[in-house]
Amino acid sequence: MKNGVSLIDCDVHNSWADSRELLPFLDPYFRDFLERGELPGGRGSFPHAHRPWLHPEGFMRTDAFPPDGGPPGSSYEFLREQLLDRYDVEYAILTGDEAIEVSTLANPRLASALASAANDWTIETWLARDSRLRASLVVAPQDPEGAVAEIHRRGEHPGFVQVLVSTGSQRPYGDPCYHPIWAAAAEVGLPIAAHLGGQGGVNSNPTGCGPPTFFLEAHALLCETGMGHVASLICHGVFERWPGLRFVLIEAGVAWLPAILWRLDADYKALRKETPWLKMLPSEYAAKHIRLSTQPLEQPKDTRQLWNVLETIDGEHTLLYASDYPHWDFDDPTLLHLPPAWKERIFSENARELYGLPARAEVALAR
Amino acid sequence: MKSAERFFACRADEVPPGGRVLREIDGKSVGVFNVAGKFFALHNRCPHKGGALCLGPVTGTNVSSDDFRYVYSRQGRVIRCAWHGWEFELESGRALADPTVRAKTFPVVVEEGNVYLMI
Repeated sequence: MKNGVSLIDCDVHNSWADSRELLPFLDPYFRDFLERGELPGGRGSFPHAHRPWLHPEGFMRTDAFPPDGGPPGSSYEFLREQLLDRYDVEYAILTGDEAIEVSTLANPRLASALASAANDWTIETWLARDSRLRASLVVAPQDPEGAVAEIHRRGEHPGFVQVLVSTGSQRPYGDPCYHPIWAAAAEVGLPIAAHLGGQGGVNSNPTGCGPPTFFLEAHALLCETGMGHVASLICHGVFERWPGLRFVLIEAGVAWLPAILWRLDADYKALRKETPWLKMLPSEYAAKHIRLSTQPLEQPKDTRQLWNVLETIDGEHTLLYASDYPHWDFDDPTLLHLPPAWKERIFSENARELYGLPARAEVALAR
Repeated sequence: MKSAERFFACRADEVPPGGRVLREIDGKSVGVFNVAGKFFALHNRCPHKGGALCLGPVTGTNVSSDDFRYVYSRQGRVIRCAWHGWEFELESGRALADPTVRAKTFPVVVEEGNVYLMI
């Protein structure tokens, strides 16, 4: 950043302008879906099931449409100007845009084929263009076999720093049906990340009482799927099975985590017989294995109330700065209210450790 | 600290293996348990929230496992507090979820068919 603090942005949405950009990376059978198949938004749109609550104004920052007329996030040059150069970003972790929506599709083979194509497109279209970019390897969680194959195919490419799924899912992510995916991620040493999305299609409702009506509700409650995944991953002993594994929860809020961990710790004392494989309290697994992106950071009137809450989860060491560029709820790093003493860790060092990113000074020296 | 005094609790044959009695002794509610012929005594007050620990079921439990399977063991050696269900070893009073938490236990002496507690 301009004030001397390094900045690693852990949620940057890069997009295609037209889904047909994926054609060179698809086998003929799957190309048909994009060329002649039914698509949710006409030719050029991406195959996925959409959630039934819609942002009344569109969910993009309205100043983020590039001059070439494409959708926000589709122009590298404009993303560089509006984000990378403007905030002097050291690294941007790309999370794609529609790619994680493959998890909504009923056909798991199509979902995995599209995820693979998106990953190859990311390498060619983005990673090759700027050494500040790192990316997320998208997999289709409803196709564990395909997801494992994709991790083996591309997981060791140095540009990919995590395996990415949507928070929308058919079952919570501790479920044994997903274990082959986490085993493959652990094998290649990549964290698992779950980003808000995939809420529709074959996936469960994002709120346990049924589908929300308004985008307002759904967005304010984006924490609920995060709660389910965190509890499930811990209770199923995923972090006992793969002690090196890290789970990154992106865009699911953060202030709720202490309350859920308090509840899990308290209930574990009485119910430990259900999960005898746990060797620590749930909160201890969270502190060691779970990282959360800040955006969209909760905004109480008195910021100190939030800081007090975040202190209970050692926010200095567990939070990762994210902007969510170019979406409507973008968090500008220069305006984010965080305890000054935590900024170095949250703005860069936690992500640097998690993703093993070399310091810029070291990169410069190596040249 | 006051040195322990010896109190008569019950006749040994009042508490068959697997059984228990509750007694008021020296102003305390105390449970006396027979675990396969050995006697143990616990303060009837759970260290968690002061609940009626000795009124809960005596059970086994799934012991800590390394292979992600359920291993049911310690049958008859674990008491589950009547209030919130925390599990404690009858023998040591240790909570299974957190061995640093202990229910108060009292040493037991059996002489000539009588069970005495050191309180």
